[in-house]
Order: sequence, then C-alpha cells, then structure tokens
Amino acid sequence: MSATTSIVTRRRPVRRLTAVIVLYTVLGLLSLIIALPLIWMMITSFKTDSDAVQHPYSLPNPVSADAYLSFTSGQQPILRWLLNSFGAATIQTILILITASMGAYALARMDFAGKKIIFGLVVAMLMVPPVVFLLPNYLIVRELGWLDTMLAITIPGAAGSFGIFFLRQFFIGLPKEIEEAARIDGAGDVRIFVQIVLPLVKPALATLAVLSFLNNWNDFLWPVYVLLSPERMTLQPGLSMLQGAYREHFGIVMAGAAIASIPVLIIFAAAQRQIVDSVTGAAVKG
Amino acid sequence: MRTTWARGLGLATAVALIAGMTACSGSADKSSQGAVGGGDYTGPKVEVTFWNGWTGGNHPKLVAELVDKFNAEHDNITVKDVPQEWADIASKAPMAIQSGNGPDVAVLHGDDIATYAAQNLLLDASEINKTLGYQAGDFPPGVYDKGMYDSTQYAIPWSVTPLGMYVNKDVVAKAGIKDMPTDKASYVAALDALKAADIQGEWVDSFIFTGTFEFESLVWQHGGDLYNKDVTKATFNSDAGVQALTWMKDMIDKGYSPANVAQDGNLTALASGKAAFNWNGIWQTTNASMADVPWTAVAVPQIGSQKAVWSSSTHWVFPANKNQDKNKTDAAAVFVKWMNDNSTGWLKSGELPAANKIRTAPSVAKDHPQLEAFINELEYAHYETVSPGINEANALITTAISEALTGKKSPKQALDDAASQADQILEKNKAKYGA
Amino acid sequence: MPSLAPSRSRAPRRIVAGEHHRSRHHGRRNLRAYLFLAPFLVVFATFIVTPAVFGLYISVTNWSPFRKRIDFVGLANYIDLFTPGALASQNFWQSMGATGWFVLWSVPLLLIIPLLVSLLLNQKLRGMTVFRTIFFAPYVLGVAIIGLVWGYIFDTQSGILNHLLHSIGVAQDIPWTVNTPWVWVSLVGVTIWWTMGLNTVIFLAGLKGINTDLYEAAAIDGAGRFQAFCHVTLPGLRPVMLFITTTTVLASANMFGQSYLLTRGGPGTATRTAIMYISDQGLSQNNMAGATAMSYILFLILAVISIINFQVQKDRTEGRGA
Repeated sequence: MSATTSIVTRRRPVRRLTAVIVLYTVLGLLSLIIALPLIWMMITSFKTDSDAVQHPYSLPNPVSADAYLSFTSGQQPILRWLLNSFGAATIQTILILITASMGAYALARMDFAGKKIIFGLVVAMLMVPPVVFLLPNYLIVRELGWLDTMLAITIPGAAGSFGIFFLRQFFIGLPKEIEEAARIDGAGDVRIFVQIVLPLVKPALATLAVLSFLNNWNDFLWPVYVLLSPERMTLQPGLSMLQGAYREHFGIVMAGAAIASIPVLIIFAAAQRQIVDSVTGAAVKG
Repeated sequence: MRTTWARGLGLATAVALIAGMTACSGSADKSSQGAVGGGDYTGPKVEVTFWNGWTGGNHPKLVAELVDKFNAEHDNITVKDVPQEWADIASKAPMAIQSGNGPDVAVLHGDDIATYAAQNLLLDASEINKTLGYQAGDFPPGVYDKGMYDSTQYAIPWSVTPLGMYVNKDVVAKAGIKDMPTDKASYVAALDALKAADIQGEWVDSFIFTGTFEFESLVWQHGGDLYNKDVTKATFNSDAGVQALTWMKDMIDKGYSPANVAQDGNLTALASGKAAFNWNGIWQTTNASMADVPWTAVAVPQIGSQKAVWSSSTHWVFPANKNQDKNKTDAAAVFVKWMNDNSTGWLKSGELPAANKIRTAPSVAKDHPQLEAFINELEYAHYETVSPGINEANALITTAISEALTGKKSPKQALDDAASQADQILEKNKAKYGA
Repeated sequence: MPSLAPSRSRAPRRIVAGEHHRSRHHGRRNLRAYLFLAPFLVVFATFIVTPAVFGLYISVTNWSPFRKRIDFVGLANYIDLFTPGALASQNFWQSMGATGWFVLWSVPLLLIIPLLVSLLLNQKLRGMTVFRTIFFAPYVLGVAIIGLVWGYIFDTQSGILNHLLHSIGVAQDIPWTVNTPWVWVSLVGVTIWWTMGLNTVIFLAGLKGINTDLYEAAAIDGAGRFQAFCHVTLPGLRPVMLFITTTTVLASANMFGQSYLLTRGGPGTATRTAIMYISDQGLSQNNMAGATAMSYILFLILAVISIINFQVQKDRTEGRGA
C-alpha cells in the first residue's frame, strides 16, 4: 500500500473508475497548458528566421533544420561548451550531494555544541541577495588562481545553503528508532549514515541532484565573469551568443533551448524512477 | 576544543582573504599605465587577444575572415578573436582588465569609453592616433571626439550605426503613397493616407530599442540636446524634449500608432505587413528575419526645425591590463591600423566603417544600395553622450518615455521628473568617477 | 512527530547522558558531528560566509574594485536609504515595493498549486512519470528563453494570447508586458508556469516520505479523505512545507530575470524589483557599496519574515503534539 490511498480509494470499483477518469482529465488539461509554449518552441526551432517572425503561429513553411545545422557548422565550439557544462554540472552535483548530505545529517540527527549557530548561519545566508557574493567571490577565485578553470565553476557553489537546508528537512522527518536499532546491532556512524539513512532519503537525494545539476547548468552570470577563453565557456552564455545581438536568429534560439533542455529532462526522468523505486523501499520499513 | 578550533579556522580564513582582497583592490594605479606606441611591430612573436561583441548576423564570419587574413600577412603577430555578447563584455571586462586577464585590444561603444577611462582601465591612445596619422577629420563629424575623456584620446573610431526609417514597400503602396516622406508635412500626409487605408503607419514603442533612439533624434531635430555641454545637467526636458515626446504620444492619440507596443513589436509589425514605417538601426539591414520582406530604408523624416538623427559608434581601445605586455599592445596597434585600412568588407556587416576614405569610396554606394540612406545621414548624425556613468542617467530617458506613452504622466511631467533624477546622478558620478 | 525547532526537542536527552561522563561524551559527540560537517563548512566558510562578511565591510566604505583608495564612510550608505527624497532611498524603496507586491501574489499561488498538483501526481497509476516530467519541464529552461518565448506570446498586438482572447470575444488588446496592472499578471503567471514544477517535485519527495501506516491507521479510525489529508498528509509535510515556504519567499524576493526581460522594469519603473535595482547599481553603475547596503536591508527584512515563518510553523507542530 502506498500514500496513494489518500485520493483514489479502493472502496468501490465504479467510484474508483470515475475518480481515475477525472484525475486523468485534469492532469491532461494542465499538461496541455503547461506544454503549449514548449511545443511552440519546438515548432519554431524548425522555421527559417523570416518565417518565424512573419508567421509565428503557423506550422513551419518550409520545414528547416538550418537552426540545428548551424550548431554543427559554425565557428563556435558548441560541442565543447556542451561537454564543459555537462562536466561542471556533474562534478558540482556530486560535491553538493556529499557536502549537503553529510552536513545535513549532522544538523538533523546529532547533538553538538554550535549546532544552532551553524544552522542559523545556513538559513541566514540563504537570505543574503546573491549579488552580494559575486564580486567578493570573483576576488577570492582570482586569489586562488582559479580564473578560467573548471574549479571556478564547480567549487564555490558546492556548499550552498539550499542543499543542506533541504536535506535537513528530510532527515528530521525520519523515525529515531531506525538509528537506535542499528546502533544496538553495533553499527558505527558511517555505516548507519551510508547504509541505513541515505537509502531512506533517496527521493530527496534524487530531487536535490536534479536541482543542483539544473542550477549549475543554467548558471549564466558567474561563468561569464570567471571564464575567459572561448573554449572553456559553458553552454548557456554560449547559446545566448548565437542568437545574435539583436535576437534576429529566432530559430537558433529555440533550437538552442531544445538542445540545452533535453539532457536535463532525461536526467530528470531517470531520477524520477529513483523516486518511484524508493517508495516501495520506504514502505517496507517504517 | 574542536568546536572552537573549527570556528577559529573559519574566522582566520575569512580574515586572511579579506585582507588579501583589500590589499589588491588598490593595484590599478595610474603609474602602471602607459601609452600606446603604434607604427610597425618588429618584436618577438606575440598572441594578441581581441574581444568584440560581434556575435550576430554575419559578423562572426566577417571578423574571422579579416583576422585570418591579418594573421596570414603578419609572421610575428597572431590575433585571437574572442566574440561574446556586448552585455557580457560590459560585465566582465572591467574586472578582468583590472586583474590582468583582459584583452589586449577590444571594441567598445562610444558611450562606454569614458566610464572605462575614468576607472583607469584604458591606455592613452593619443600617441598611436598620431603615429597612424588619424585626425578628427578622417571620420564623420563628432565621432573621433567620443574617444576623448579628460583631454586624453583613448580610442580609435571603427564603425558608426545610425538610425534610419525602414519602409515596407507593399504597405505604403496599399495606401497609394508614391514618394517617401522626408519632412513633417509629407510624413503626416503619409500617416493620414495609411490611416484612411486602415493601417497604423508607425508603431511607437517605449523601449530603448527603438523608442529612446527615436525620441533622442527628435530632441536634436527640435534644436535641443540631452545634456548641457559639460554634462552636469540634463536638458532632455527642455521645450525640444517636450515637443519630441509629445509628438510620440500624439502618434498614439491620433491613431497613427497602436498603444502599448511591446518590445520589438514595431519591427515585427513591419515585417508582417501591419506597419509601413519603423525607425530602427542600420543593424536591421542584415536581419535574417527581414530577408523576404519588401523593405527599403530612407533617412528619418525631419519633424523638427533641423535635420538630425541618432547614431551609435564603436571604437578600438587598448585595455590597461595589470602588467600589460607592451609588445602585445604594440602588435595590437598594428592590427587596428590594418583593420581600418581593410574595412571595406565590413559594410557587409550592416555597420558603416568610420574611416571616411573607406566609406566614401565610389564603389560603396554602388555595391550597397541599401546603406545609401544611412551613409547620407552621417552629415547630421548625433552620437552618444560621453561622460563616465552616463548610462545610468540615460536609462531615465527610457523611463520617462515609458511613463508618458502609457499615460502615467504627461510628457512634460515625465521628462521633468527624469531630468531631476538625472541631475542627481550626474552629481553623484562626479564623486564616483572623479579624482 | 519530529519537531521543526532547530534542536529543541533533543535538549532533555542530554541530562540522561549522565553527569560524570558528560564532558568526555560531549567532546566525542562534537568531534563526530564536526567531522560530518567539515566538507560543507570549509567551502561554506570560504565562498559564502567570507563574501557575506566582506559585503558588510563594503557597505560601510566607498569600495569599488577600481578605486585606488578605499575610505570608511560609516553608515552613510545606509543613511542614504532612509533619507526621504534622496535618489537612492526613492528608487530603492520603490523597487522594494515592487518586490513586496510580487511576493504577495506569487508565494501563495506557488504553494497552493504545487501542493494540489503533487497530490494529484502522487498516485500509483500509469503515466504519472510522464505528467511529472511535463510539469517539471518549464523549470529546465533558462530565464533568457522564458523571456523570449513569453515575450512573443504576450505581444500586445501580435501575441498569440491576445489572439486567443479575441476569438473568445475579448475586444481589447491587453498590454501584458507594457502596462499596469497586466504586467503583474504576466510576471506572476510566467513565474508560476516556470517554477511550479520545482515545488511540485519537492512536495512529491515529501509525500513519498510519509509513513503509509499512518493512512491505514487513519482509515481504521474512520477518517475520511479530507480528514486524512488534514491529520496525516499536512503534518507529514511540515518539514518540507517549512522548506518550501522559506525558499519560495526568497525566490520571489529575488525575482529579477522575468521583469528584466519581459517588462524591462516598466511601465516607468513599476516592475523594477529590488534585485533588479541592486544588481544594476552594484554591477553596472559601479556602486557596489550602496548596492551591498541595500542588500543587507533586504536581508534584514527577509530574516524577520523567515523567523516569523519558522516560529509559526514550529508552534503549529508543537501544538499538535506527537
């Protein structure tokens, strides 16, 4: 059994069927509203620039793959940018999962001196407008000699408040008995954390992984500041360059958006599977 | 104990880093700056990094071609072309130059130069201008001086990009308009004819692109100016300014333009045959989305008492990087000279080469008929105001236009409010960038 | 029920630990906790706390990366913000007003809609993964694309939205991105479209963590669906709810890209948000000192809101008991 019983009950088959139909209708309509702009985006990516501006709401005429082809034939190292972005986002996501899960575990499940201060600081730092960090961090990264390197776009964001606050809220919800039982069995801190606690918050970890990846993937301003060579650039600033200074290449912008979003959607769908899987796991215990 | 130790470590790191940062913040002092020599470069082989904002249209291809040609002709100089968005250059260049990671040569817009110069980010280019033999008279009137700040020349002109009036030929034909409007009377007649044919002739918007450029053109046409001579006071709220903005508001009130035109809505309207005219920049001549549109471009009509039109300009500058290699700067100067001498091909970019001798060559008008109207406008074009931090004051002009065109304030009220804020900003800029 | 108070519920157990072992026991406990925290703290201290502290220093000087001499100016940058009629205070508080207005409209909708959607999606039925992916999809896009796509949709004269409205009988051309009050409708609407997937996914992760036995227990007690929602689902979501309210308020208070791209802060400066003004001052107008002072005022206000939020949500939990 799962939490699903809260809405679609198993009481009577007819009522259940009606509920399911209503549910699918509502979700279908909502999805349509949400997806329409995205569908329009995809359609536009197959238009020529003049077709896109003169007939924005008709089907492509002619159907043109020029926008996509321009990514392979241009002077800009787009494949390189894609790899840079992928590498940076992956590295940072892994770092965030490590720092945040360990830190959040301590904050949620352990007693120690200074706990309140640290958690207070974590939450407080969430409230400092991001613009405050930009120039000082630029100076720090410069002093460390990290300008124009992968370190600059992976390390500074590897311990934000978001991740640790997020995971703490999930750790806090776990029943205490789980660790106590394991401790009686003679398990140490590390084993309890890795083998017992982490699997229980898998949905949260998967969610945080997607959000962290996305955050790095879509980051725009910071890479512009700290990356200097064209071959070290990441995808987002690179793509915005291709649309042209006066946004005249509408098809390219839309094709670029499609190229940039598809990898993340695949990762999201894969992470979803993790979330669904873990439900069965969580339901067995408890 | 451990806690104290951990806290202490954090604090120590913080203090050390802050001390470090504060110490370096004073590194860009004037003494490290030099002047740019110019002439031939005979030194060792160097790589010159070149930042520019030419990312759209056929710009990247044209620049790459020119750079390749230059590199092939020069054994001891390799120019590395680094295109990126203008906005990105604006964000990163100052910090990069200050820490010695900036380019050896770059292209900036006219209204940015003073801001960079005031922050000691540019090398004095008087010497190179002299060596290369450039004088104000080699460029359209008013362009060379845009590189001048605090009696020092910091830049070499490269291109100019005036506003013009784009016309959808099919649409004007529908209203039976034969001759292109050139002055107020003929323009109003054309707008009336269009209105009779149920077409709103020119769509006026309230955004920088293009409402602000149109407004500024109109201010100058009415004999006014945006700021006083030494840029200590805003004057865009003068009678000329009020007349200019009232004209724009009347366009809407009289039904020549729809209300609430969105960003880029006027160009879209021209392209899709809903509007006849659009005051827009020369850069639209290469806009791929205009490829199938039956357009032509003419000089903007003279609405006020004199001919005038807005134009921007781009300039070469030599950044004063921390520990700048003098060889690289000298090599960059050779590159700039070569580019200006070989800029005929640049006409294909939809920008006009600033160098008169290139632009006025007889072949130019013949090969690029779509640019003719823009070239002719240069006699009376006005360029952007030079003063450090001027963009903050300029932004208020757009705010005023927006407030007036959306009916929030009367044109006069909107301009007066903006001018009084702009005066305060100019005053603040003196302290911020002065001394 | 687990408590939401940062650490209070654990306090009584310390006494149980036994007086004579106390200090050694605490020492080991502290070491253990700090070892877990160490990787986080090193990066956090360097790239978050240090810049924040440095920011405080900047805000009491005339700091600029390009200035040769930095002068201490005391609280001048702050006093400017509280001097009626001064340029900075006029613009700053107007932009704060715009931000406040946006927070007021966007936050409730960004809590309620994702909560409802996540309940709908939390079913063991075919196709839920597909729906989840669709709902999340807009969030994957960068704000630059959002601005461009919706700019087209919202165009006053040729946008598809007005086109659709005309076909159902709305005669007027609605100025979605040009004039009030419509600019607010578009900004809030686009933000919901763009980010509701984020909160939905977090709510879903929270729903997965609720112990399913509780629903069965509720059913045995004869609780209806609505009662089960009130007594099992909502309390079970509390830790997540606290997180989502906090981060949504912060995200809305930091809104900037949407109005920068869609309305350019207009009409006039009506939709120029605090972050839009602060970023412009700090990064484009070379006024980092003033911008940092403004940032810390905004910080204080957000901190107060968050403390209230923490108190309210904590109180409710404790009131219900375990």
